Amino acid sequence: MKTYLLAGFALLLACCYVGNAFAADSGAGEVEMLVFPDSYSAASVSNGGTISGVVTFEGDLPEMKKLEITKDQAVCGATDKYDESLVVGEGNALKNTIVYLIDISKGKDFDKATKLEIDQKGCKFSPHVQIVPVGVRVTMLNTDKVNHNVHIFSSINKPVNKQQTKNRRKMPLAGVKKAEGPVAVKCDIHGWMSAWIAYVPHPYFAVTNEKGEFTLEGVPAGTYKLGYWHEACGTNSDSPASVTVEAGSTATQNFTLKLK
Amino acid sequence: MVNRNVVTLLMLVFGLLCAVMLVHAQNAPEASERGKEVYEQSCAHCHGTEGRGDGSAAENLLPKPRDFTRGLYKIRSTESGQLPTDQDLFDIITIGMPGSSMPGWETSLSADERWEVVAYIKTFYNGFKESEAPPRQISLEGKIAYSEQSVETGKELYVELGCVECHGNVGRGDGTSAPTLTDEWGFQTWPANLAQSWNFRGGADTEAIFKRFIGGIAGSPMPAFEGDSFLHFGLSVEESKRLTELENKDEMTEVEETESEKFYEKMDVAVDLALNRAEGIELTAAEQQTYDDAMKVVYEKSWHLANYVKSLAPEERPEPAIGKNVLRSQYVQGELPGMEDTAWEVLQSRHFPLVGQVVIEPRQFNPTIDSVNIKSFYNDTEVAFLFMWDDRTHTTGDEIDESTGKPLEDALAIQFPVKVPQGPTAPKPYFLWGGRLPVYLWHWKASAPEQVVEITAKGINNAEVQAAQGALQAQGAYTDGQYKLWVKRALKTDDKKDLQLEPGVFVPIAFSAWDGANGDVDTKRVVSSWYTFVLEPVPSSRRFVYPPLIAVLSLGLLFGLRAVVQRRNS
Repeated sequence: MKTYLLAGFALLLACCYVGNAFAADSGAGEVEMLVFPDSYSAASVSNGGTISGVVTFEGDLPEMKKLEITKDQAVCGATDKYDESLVVGEGNALKNTIVYLIDISKGKDFDKATKLEIDQKGCKFSPHVQIVPVGVRVTMLNTDKVNHNVHIFSSINKPVNKQQTKNRRKMPLAGVKKAEGPVAVKCDIHGWMSAWIAYVPHPYFAVTNEKGEFTLEGVPAGTYKLGYWHEACGTNSDSPASVTVEAGSTATQNFTLKLK
Repeated sequence: MVNRNVVTLLMLVFGLLCAVMLVHAQNAPEASERGKEVYEQSCAHCHGTEGRGDGSAAENLLPKPRDFTRGLYKIRSTESGQLPTDQDLFDIITIGMPGSSMPGWETSLSADERWEVVAYIKTFYNGFKESEAPPRQISLEGKIAYSEQSVETGKELYVELGCVECHGNVGRGDGTSAPTLTDEWGFQTWPANLAQSWNFRGGADTEAIFKRFIGGIAGSPMPAFEGDSFLHFGLSVEESKRLTELENKDEMTEVEETESEKFYEKMDVAVDLALNRAEGIELTAAEQQTYDDAMKVVYEKSWHLANYVKSLAPEERPEPAIGKNVLRSQYVQGELPGMEDTAWEVLQSRHFPLVGQVVIEPRQFNPTIDSVNIKSFYNDTEVAFLFMWDDRTHTTGDEIDESTGKPLEDALAIQFPVKVPQGPTAPKPYFLWGGRLPVYLWHWKASAPEQVVEITAKGINNAEVQAAQGALQAQGAYTDGQYKLWVKRALKTDDKKDLQLEPGVFVPIAFSAWDGANGDVDTKRVVSSWYTFVLEPVPSSRRFVYPPLIAVLSLGLLFGLRAVVQRRNS
């Protein structure tokens, strides 16, 4: 009797597992994603703590790939351009890593004063990784006086593909409805142009600078899962770091990333 | 005890079944079984049973079959970012997508079945279920009729909006960005050749072009030209002109400053309203009016552009060169015209469709060269041909094909039998470069545009360059996505391996073409089967003698008969 029960149970589990595996299969091979809380409520945070640290790269550094500039040489080819999927600075500092709180459901509100802009300058997006809060408009700048098209490969939100002609200096994009990302941003006219936008539901996201540094401020005291995302090195969503931050003080968490 | 065991077992099995069904139910379609059945029978081979565009035939197709799980549909009557209407999906299934592997199903599926398939396809993407409001359709009101002036305005917009970047100067899909384009799934994709309207996926009427332009082609690099993609969105045509005038001034007076400021504010308002609308914020009646006014200018411009695009292609695909359209070389006295001679303009070119070579490995399943168009003149001793074909890229063999080690380059081969078959039922050589019966070929390559090599072949992999060369004069050029090749040869040559030409004789002719940028090399190419051409015989001057003579004789006979009858009666 027990054997039957056990066997049946095992079979049931197996079925569920297989079913899930099939369901998960649709996402296979795609870019790894950020993990967002089910809900988030904003309130004022007094005497919050800070989480900061440095992200460094470990392993053999591949040679930086020079991008092939195939058109608009006068504007796009004025300076050499390199693939920005892995930018490592002095002391193996890893730029363009998103570091964020995975499991925060209550905290500060977005800083609404900051204007979000992505520039298209010299046929390169800058910054390469941009955090954009849900519902907030990001403005695309065209400093180039050549035609660009802003192509954002969203799949949860509506994908965007809009021409930004050389005459249009600023083109604000509609805010999105749902957290998603990071999603790829491309310009089809200049096929080498590449950037990422992360549409986020709370303000505890940071992108590392040239020195690999990040800072998350105004964090309510508590213990959090700290995640990262990097274009070439992947994520730690399976085993995020656990960080405890105390009111008014700074917790430090460094990461060392390898190519995935 | 045994009974209890059986009951427990049954319960377990039942529970198991429920669990399995539950897992399935999460993705379960609401559409009828019939839709699923039809889909699996007719669509799944390419689009996959799960709708992911990964059916067994997908591998060899380009453009790839659509992945339905993303809700990205190219051909829509709806605005950018919106799902298609059911009618859009139904129309595509019915008509198919010209220039791709998607056939029309009008004759093979009943209307009911097609509607069932529409419902079933929608189950692959949850967005159809989640969206509350029906998709916003592009308004076709205020269509501007086709006129030369509208085409002219559209032409300016074509440049201003950057269409040239991909579609090229005159629209042959040869823009400087064309070779690097990829679709949403990372597969190479080519911009439409606007001169070949018969390959437009969503049809070639002005309304269809207008819709593609406003709504974009989802999943492809073709952007949507929504309101604020246009210069000075929010201003009327006059206001926009005035602002350009002001902006071009070295220095503005205070009054002018204020004037331009007002324009900027007006533009900001329009952009803001467009964004509000995109974000789902309802506009007040007044705001809606402001937005509509701004969009009116955009829609007008878009109609002009659609008219211009319409002007780039013939109304319909030219008839292939058979029957009454067979290629007839026209006789001229004296020197034959050179490549750039205006004399060619009096001739209408003949159209020879080409298809991918799929008989012999390596095959070409995804051809980029659609057809070759030909004109021809001859005189007493020579014949000249003008071959024209569209190719989006000018590839001259700088890149080497990995599998064959040969350079990838654009080329054209013109094929004749060595001996003209006597009579229409006499066998012709095998259409793929001959076999038992040999063929005689003219082989031209983009890397040596002034040269045509004569070849004798007894099979596609059994070709021999003729020992005696130099019978042909050639000139080739590539401009704005089109090759032009001019070839001249004597009607008669001394070489036994050459074809000898004679007026009035129907000669089989066939073609092979290579697009290096599309990976064409060796047998991977586009081909035609046999067509015919003829040196149109010079009409004999006897036609001025015999018909009048016969007429006079008949008249005489009639009069004679009349005289005889009259005499008998009296």
